[in-house]
Amino acid sequence: MKNNLKNNKTNANIYIPLNGKIEEITQLTGDVRLFKIKTETPIDYVPGQFFMLSVWGAGEVPISVASLPEKNGTIELCIRKTGIVTSAIHSLKTGQSIGLRGPYGNGFPIDISKGRDVILVAGGIGIAPLRPLIQQFIKNHRKAGKVTLLYGSRTPDEIIFRDEVEEWEESGIAVALTVDKGNDNWKGNVGLVTGLWPEVRTDFKEAVAYICGPDVMIKAAMRDLFFLGMPDERIITTLEAHMKCGVGKCGHCYIGPQYICTDGPVFSYKEIKEQSILK
Amino acid sequence: MKKELILDKNNLSYWLRQIRKKRELIGPLMNGGNDIVFKSVDKIHELVLDCPASLPSPKEFIFPQYEPMLRIRQASNVKYQEITDLSEKTRRVIFGVRSCDISALGLLDRFYLKGHKDSYYAERRRNTLFISIVCKDPDPTCFCIGLGTGPYLEKGFDIQITDLGDRYFVQIGSPEGAKTVKAMSFLFRRPQKTDYEDQYEVFLSSKARFHKRINLKGIRQMILEEKVKDDFWQWVADRCFECGGCVYNCPLCTCFTVTDRAYSEGTERIRLWDACMFKGFTRMAGGILPNEMMVKRTKRWYYHKLIHYPETLGGFGCVGCGRCTITCPGKIDMASIATKLKGLAISEEEK
Amino acid sequence: MNKVLTVCPYCGCGCGLYLHVENGKIVGVSPSRSHPVNNGSLCVKGWNAYEFVAHPDRLKYPMIRQNGELKRSTWNEALTLVAARLDEIKRKHGPDSIGILSSAKCTNEENYLMMKFARAVLGTNNIDHCARLCHSSTVGGLAAAFGSGAMTNSISEITDAKVLFVIGSNTTEQHPMIGMHMLEAVDRGAILIVADPRRTKIAEFAHIHIRQKSGTDVALLMGIMNSIVNEGLVDTDFVRRRTENFDTFEEVLRRYSPDVVEGITGVKANDIRRVARIYAMEKRSMLFYAMGITQHITGIDNVRACANLVMLTGHIGLPMSGLNPLRGQNNVQGACDMGGLPNVYSGYQTVTDPKARKKFEMAWRRKLPESPGLTLTDMIEKAYDSSLKAMYIMGENPLLSDPDLNHVKEALERLEFLVVQDIFPNETSEYADVILPASSYAEKDGTFTNTERRVQLLRKAIEPIGESKPDWEIICELSNSMGYEMNYRGTYEIMEEIAILTPSYGGILHHRLQEGFGLQWPCHNINHSGTPYLHRKKFARGLGTFITVDFVPPDEPPDSEYPFLLTTGRIYFRYHTATMCRRTAVLEREEPESFVEINPEDAERLGIKNRSMVKVSSRRGEIELKAYVTNRTPEGIVFIPFHFREAAANILTNPATDPGAKIPEYKVCAVRIEPLAKPKKVRRIPSVDLEALRIT
Repeated sequence: MKNNLKNNKTNANIYIPLNGKIEEITQLTGDVRLFKIKTETPIDYVPGQFFMLSVWGAGEVPISVASLPEKNGTIELCIRKTGIVTSAIHSLKTGQSIGLRGPYGNGFPIDISKGRDVILVAGGIGIAPLRPLIQQFIKNHRKAGKVTLLYGSRTPDEIIFRDEVEEWEESGIAVALTVDKGNDNWKGNVGLVTGLWPEVRTDFKEAVAYICGPDVMIKAAMRDLFFLGMPDERIITTLEAHMKCGVGKCGHCYIGPQYICTDGPVFSYKEIKEQSILK
Repeated sequence: MKKELILDKNNLSYWLRQIRKKRELIGPLMNGGNDIVFKSVDKIHELVLDCPASLPSPKEFIFPQYEPMLRIRQASNVKYQEITDLSEKTRRVIFGVRSCDISALGLLDRFYLKGHKDSYYAERRRNTLFISIVCKDPDPTCFCIGLGTGPYLEKGFDIQITDLGDRYFVQIGSPEGAKTVKAMSFLFRRPQKTDYEDQYEVFLSSKARFHKRINLKGIRQMILEEKVKDDFWQWVADRCFECGGCVYNCPLCTCFTVTDRAYSEGTERIRLWDACMFKGFTRMAGGILPNEMMVKRTKRWYYHKLIHYPETLGGFGCVGCGRCTITCPGKIDMASIATKLKGLAISEEEK
Repeated sequence: MNKVLTVCPYCGCGCGLYLHVENGKIVGVSPSRSHPVNNGSLCVKGWNAYEFVAHPDRLKYPMIRQNGELKRSTWNEALTLVAARLDEIKRKHGPDSIGILSSAKCTNEENYLMMKFARAVLGTNNIDHCARLCHSSTVGGLAAAFGSGAMTNSISEITDAKVLFVIGSNTTEQHPMIGMHMLEAVDRGAILIVADPRRTKIAEFAHIHIRQKSGTDVALLMGIMNSIVNEGLVDTDFVRRRTENFDTFEEVLRRYSPDVVEGITGVKANDIRRVARIYAMEKRSMLFYAMGITQHITGIDNVRACANLVMLTGHIGLPMSGLNPLRGQNNVQGACDMGGLPNVYSGYQTVTDPKARKKFEMAWRRKLPESPGLTLTDMIEKAYDSSLKAMYIMGENPLLSDPDLNHVKEALERLEFLVVQDIFPNETSEYADVILPASSYAEKDGTFTNTERRVQLLRKAIEPIGESKPDWEIICELSNSMGYEMNYRGTYEIMEEIAILTPSYGGILHHRLQEGFGLQWPCHNINHSGTPYLHRKKFARGLGTFITVDFVPPDEPPDSEYPFLLTTGRIYFRYHTATMCRRTAVLEREEPESFVEINPEDAERLGIKNRSMVKVSSRRGEIELKAYVTNRTPEGIVFIPFHFREAAANILTNPATDPGAKIPEYKVCAVRIEPLAKPKKVRRIPSVDLEALRIT
């Protein structure tokens, strides 16, 4: 997938993080928080790109942007506590500084969705990278195409952006939620997100899909959509990998001949098949 | 200035001594039993020329095993952070490097300097001059001859010297190399016809001394045509000791990991050599291990070197230095695998 | 950049490596190409052996506990306090109320000084080290049978052997470079026999892998020997000329027919016969063993059985033919050689021998105690019942390495005074009254003795970190402040003293070790070039002795309440109590958490899923960790590595010891396993009919 932004061709040391300030922290679910970070000068980025966030003493971690760029230079990043670095980020408080490098990666291709229906498939924290896409679709007042969001979580309590999902619905996005395991208050669907295909009132052959979630879910969703007649190059996903540099040097995210960080993280099903990326 | 010159052997140490005034002189020295190690040269007459391969490769001087990247000092005032770039700026000359390692530099340059430029590599590379020597007597493990990466080079070097017995044939390949020679031009003379003839003879005799001729193109073709079966890769994986030696020693392996160390005087961000032979190398958030099966990792290394390097960087990820053959405890190094696959291919044809 | 040739600080292989030094910092490691052990290779730990040296966690200054908290102090304050307290306790409760733990991680010189400090300065034989927990049964067992408890052959001989019999050793992971030589031998046509209940990596290369039940090694070896006798494969000439006591031994041996042994060990009688034939019929047969043999209540018997096997076939005293215990720590051989044991001085000269004692008394100008001291395991017992008042622990971490940790913890808490001397804070130092910061292997000179008895020079690469000091300097200063003068200009002077007092080290002096890669003891004098293999014409004790052994079942076999047999050990990316490898980025990342290996059949039965959390409990405690479902471990047996403090396997292990060697039975105890989380039951919406959707 081609890069939407030009490479930084300066001589500056690409490994030096910029200083960001945490403006706001929102607890979304038990282990997920949304961090609003302000940089001194606004940084331009597109949905699907990521930043290397760094906490000194703990290390760096790649996090996809969860918002559209703002003129005042704030970036929203949605972070689940899973390892050493993310735990360190969670221990930070409003007003404290955090390092960030980026944006890196190619970002979602938006043009291909022009005049087409859009299906968004999210699993768990996978909703975060899709959030700016949704925001963009709402912002552009898409009239031509219909946007459908299929979103699966583990439990009802782990549905991230639950309030926003309602807002999105109000703005005209068709939403179908499901959980792996319900509770007493849950009256919605229970099961895999790929069980929600019947909810989509769209011609699969003409639509575009953006998928983000765990590898198993991505694989299943892509296979299903392909089977349902969607062309390879319009099935878009974003992948996750172990990364240390974010700029195609450290080698950790190398899969096939591709680096997830520089050639991705957004790939079409076509690329994934040709380069045998997801095995 | 001529690109080809003759240096009398008696003049070598004087020349190096002059260079050393401006740069740290690193060269091959004998140590312990019969080990050759590249280190700072104290006594120039102790330099060992035409020596067996050193471990690890000279990439350690431009992409070191342990490299401090940044230091941050956080004052008690939360807003104030002072980040220091710890790029190494020492000027060095590495003397006595082999042609294969110089060939590797070409690919390393393309890898580290294209796209996002790796400033640590760039800084060290700019400050390091390589004086390479044509191998007169290759090791039994060497196979650069089949890859065009040695025993001598046509281009890509700073300065290349050929031992002609009592004198060196000196070739200049870069502006920095020219500068270094020019500063001491009175030590050199123009080559005569006999010098060219003698140099050619060294090339010929060196080529004749190789024990191994390995055709990586053929192996690549075999893999692309899916003639290498899974059980072969499984056999390779079973013999892997997970030492990382192949990667650490390889002049073309580029992977690293980054770690933070919180010292009292500030936190240091350090990068260290890492290897794709380890399962944790690709560990994802939440502890998922995409490459838990050893076979995925050994295969990845070979695919990277044989299939993907030529596609992305325009050359094999192997220059035939033979270091993995020396170091691999399981004998599943590039040369052994290539030989084994060639054997399999022949026996397949026989059937 | 400078590169300093030195010795790897991890395992007993003793690989030669170069430390790369730049501006007084260590920036890398590379292997030595011509070293006889590693020939240009290193394992992952060796390749990363540089990083921990400058880790921020290093102990940089002495600390004294004040009002319950460890506070920074000066060297003078710390040493004065230690001297005063040890003196006081010695006066009040007698010298035997103090216990010393020497270290298999420290140099020969330091171990020698530590033993001198215990015996001459404190006046007690209460000195021991972690060899008690790994190879004390070897030292005891082989000393009795052959007169010398060490590997008989050299590592470089392995490649030329024809039969390799490996019992109870996970060689490729724990002694990778020895494993490398074994694999090379196999490539050259050698037959590899592995006896191990677990399917270890070395077992993957084996021609024959026998999986005896844990703790039945004596029976297995007796079965093999029985078969050798029955099939007439005994080297009768060797038995007659070189050994004694065969007849009494043979009487017991008759009872162990392969069929009887099959019943005990679970190994097919035919396999036993096959192994017997293969092993006995080839002269270049090498027998290797490690913790799988020694860490049992029958540890000494296991070792004796191995010794009997090599004597029966005469496979000893030749190159590529012998009995090879693989020692664990980088200098555990040396620490034993130096007399870091309660019953012997350096060179295994016993403290009860008046002649030996007299020699050391004259050299050290002090009256020395006559009866053997306490072993490590006994010290813990005595501390627990408060008859041991103080301990001085150098470079060891009993609070993770000893069996039944809850008990050890209480024992250490009951001590009046505990001194810990180490390079990193560890589980034990949390209980210390005084912490003395020591220098790491990269910051000092000295010698290490590897498993093949090769004494090699350790060379200083950088200056000590912080205020830390080499262990030998600390011991000297402490001794001086206790009124016994120890003044050496360098470690070479200590080595000279060792050479004079220790016959097997008689010709080993630092200047002889400068060139090449060390000398293998016995090396009796300055002209002796070392001994690549032992017992050439006669055994060290004269005649080899057949010591009668009999099968005894493990102390705590599984029962209905605790139905699983737990065996413990190490894993490749970790080392012992992990003080060094946990502070190495790559090693820490590879195995960040503990696990219990369990067979798929057992897991299925208990409802345990791969990577799910389980609770493992024994009669002594319980731990929670992840399950790793694998065929490596046979049914009924589970395996836990002991490196992890978060789920310390030694909370579970049985402190029952071999009566002779006092080695605990780490390899067998009974445990129970329960899944912690019930497997999630997912209610699924009916699967979608894609076909139907496609048509619309």
